[in-house]
Amino acid sequence: MKRPVAAITGLGVIGAHGIGRAPLEEALLAGRPLASEVDRSTGYHESDSSRLGALVPKLDVSRWLPPVEARRLSVPSRFAVVAARMALEDAGLTSFDGRRVTVVLSTAFGALLFTEKLVRQILEEGPEAAQPFYFSECVANAAAARVAIALGARGANVTITEREAGPLLAVARGAQEVREGRADIAIAGSADELTGLLHALLDRFRSTARARRGGAEAARPFDAARNGVLAGEGAAVVVIEREDEARARGARVLTRVAATGAAFDSTAPVSDWGRGHEALARALRGALAREGRSIGTVDRIVSGASGARGGDRLESATLVAAWEGSSLPPVLTPKAVVGEFGGGLLAAAVLAACGAPFGRPVACETQDPELAVAPHDGSPLPAPHRLLITSLAAGGAAAWALLERP
Amino acid sequence: MPGADRGSPQPSDIVVTGLGAVTPFGWGVNSFWEGARLGVTAIGPFDRFDASRHRTHLAAQVPDGDIGGAPLRHLSLADRFAVASAREAVAAADLDLESCRERTGVFFGSSAGGMLEGEWFFEAHLRRGTRHAKRGLVASQQFNGPGDAVARAVGVGGQVETISSACASAAMAIGNALHALRRGDVDVALAGGSDALCQLTYAGFNALRSVDEAPSRPFRKDRLGLSLGEGAGVLVLESLAHATRRGARPIAVLAGEASTCDAHHMTAPHPDGSGASSAIRLALADAGISADDVDFVNAHGTGTPLNDAAEAAALKAVFGDRLRSIPVTSTKALIGHLLGSAGAVEAVATVLGLARREVHPMPDTGTRDPELGLDLVLGSPRVLPRVFCAISTSLAFGGANAVLVFTRSEPA
Repeated sequence: MKRPVAAITGLGVIGAHGIGRAPLEEALLAGRPLASEVDRSTGYHESDSSRLGALVPKLDVSRWLPPVEARRLSVPSRFAVVAARMALEDAGLTSFDGRRVTVVLSTAFGALLFTEKLVRQILEEGPEAAQPFYFSECVANAAAARVAIALGARGANVTITEREAGPLLAVARGAQEVREGRADIAIAGSADELTGLLHALLDRFRSTARARRGGAEAARPFDAARNGVLAGEGAAVVVIEREDEARARGARVLTRVAATGAAFDSTAPVSDWGRGHEALARALRGALAREGRSIGTVDRIVSGASGARGGDRLESATLVAAWEGSSLPPVLTPKAVVGEFGGGLLAAAVLAACGAPFGRPVACETQDPELAVAPHDGSPLPAPHRLLITSLAAGGAAAWALLERP
Repeated sequence: MPGADRGSPQPSDIVVTGLGAVTPFGWGVNSFWEGARLGVTAIGPFDRFDASRHRTHLAAQVPDGDIGGAPLRHLSLADRFAVASAREAVAAADLDLESCRERTGVFFGSSAGGMLEGEWFFEAHLRRGTRHAKRGLVASQQFNGPGDAVARAVGVGGQVETISSACASAAMAIGNALHALRRGDVDVALAGGSDALCQLTYAGFNALRSVDEAPSRPFRKDRLGLSLGEGAGVLVLESLAHATRRGARPIAVLAGEASTCDAHHMTAPHPDGSGASSAIRLALADAGISADDVDFVNAHGTGTPLNDAAEAAALKAVFGDRLRSIPVTSTKALIGHLLGSAGAVEAVATVLGLARREVHPMPDTGTRDPELGLDLVLGSPRVLPRVFCAISTSLAFGGANAVLVFTRSEPA
């Protein structure tokens, strides 16, 4: 019997670009980093630290999340509920059987602001000062639980925490729930917040980009001058359904989730990338082959390259090894614009699969001669047939997803 | 015999071939099972951190121990529990990873990761300034620290995925491993979870007034809350065909799993237990097993008034009047609530119960709650000569429910 096809029918996104698809498309076309000053007054930063992040601006989200409801939620929970409701509306889903709706969200660090506040209360004022509200919202699965409560989703409720690989693992799990009949609808995506503490910690690990020799502080994927990521925040959520059922209700299909895969590079240290590109390439090819796809039919790559020295080197080597010497299709690098948060990569990839044009990342000027990959130059491209999303996490995890034109 | 075929498992069935555990009873599965059989709780005074200013003062702490094997850098305490458990499980399964490295995955649950070390970092920052807070303390602070540490320590190349769905994390991870094996994404899975005691969870549960000042007494009339614990558990999972090819002996069959969500409240279960009962029914359906075939329940059994009542209602909804004759135990009464790794150690307890045909007891303290209508295993192990199937339930913050179904790997 033919296996059901998992299709993405809705996208909701909130990030440094604002709310929704249109401003994100504009930003990706412009190619400029969505960077703003991080609050460094919290005392965590070193004096010469990086200064910028892809921060969500003040936005009116009341259409998606009434203020009275928002007050009870942490920042990632707010982002997630906004994106989930937006995605359902985008999918045209107004009613459903909640028992058949699963929620799979990823987060790298959870509700950090509330976690920080709670730990501060415990350490500075004493444990008796700990507020239960902070505790219940600082668990990693708070955002997924809030989405479930907001939507009445009573299927599996899963929170994946595998850093940069998390969003694609969430999409994979959502697609599997639908394809294997455990759910009719999967709400899958990612939600993260960037706090001053997190920014300072990333900076102390030399993960964030820094200004150099009078140049701008920017993420430069695959560039010779790259020296770190633009840390970001926000949420992206997709609605996944069986394609036949989506079409039966008259829904528009944005793209198909044709294949997913994951692997681990055990040569990676805890907070950096390893050099296991050959094994990762074999895993990528194997994942596509299990779904009857071959790497040669991929005509677009949306890369998770972020401007990290080791991460981009591993990404480049893995792609070259996976293509076994053949020319790579155009490589898009949305993290140069939306920053390092998985939801931005996911949303950009869905838009790219729908044919949205991407501009040249303006901060990328000189391709790293040691790498065989460069970001696409911004010239017009036809809509892709098969788009590969890649995401290699610091620490070793890797995930891929193949999106296919319906 | 009603329900499933009680014969031998099929080649495509997913079996457990190795177990590992680090618990407050000690490092290793044998320490855990010997302690569990005695029915004496490990919950007591502890010194993982200074609890003098907390509302309660008891927990179940893992004694000092060694992770075995090669030393590794930047390991949090939760990472150490995880790596030790994984190494024990791999050794018990007699698994030569060289032959299947790229086809082996890690599916792990953790609720707090390296939060304990994160608190040390933060304390140093507050007291002495950020330059004195060593960044190495937070290198493995993330939720995915323990799972990634296992993958790095044993050198796997397949899918690695951490689930952080509070107290259902590890059960969900084991469930996800089951599906990955059935699909053929991996040939072998190391599935489990790890968490360490930390001030954030200790103060947080106390702030919710969810912690008992005495050791927790699940399903007892005078229960007043949970007790926290720490530790890790790991199961080696593979198809029976894969195990047979390499000459491994199955310990039990992971027959089914399911997850649901109450979608009701962040910290309280739905009082009618409908989300949990739905998860039990779906897990049994996934396993192709009738509720009539379940011989014992390793319950979530936290000891909080609301959770135990909701769980009992869920069990009653599924098993009806037969519930009064199904032995029910809670591992948390012995080693506390291990949060993100609770489902892993409780899965280990369930597998051992099936393999050794006995259910570990809870301490025989407190009065049974007659309103719950449960056949509690108290004081000494319950021997079940004809045991075939058991379920392990995990019911979490945010309403997440996960249920695992295990059966014996040999005919009852």
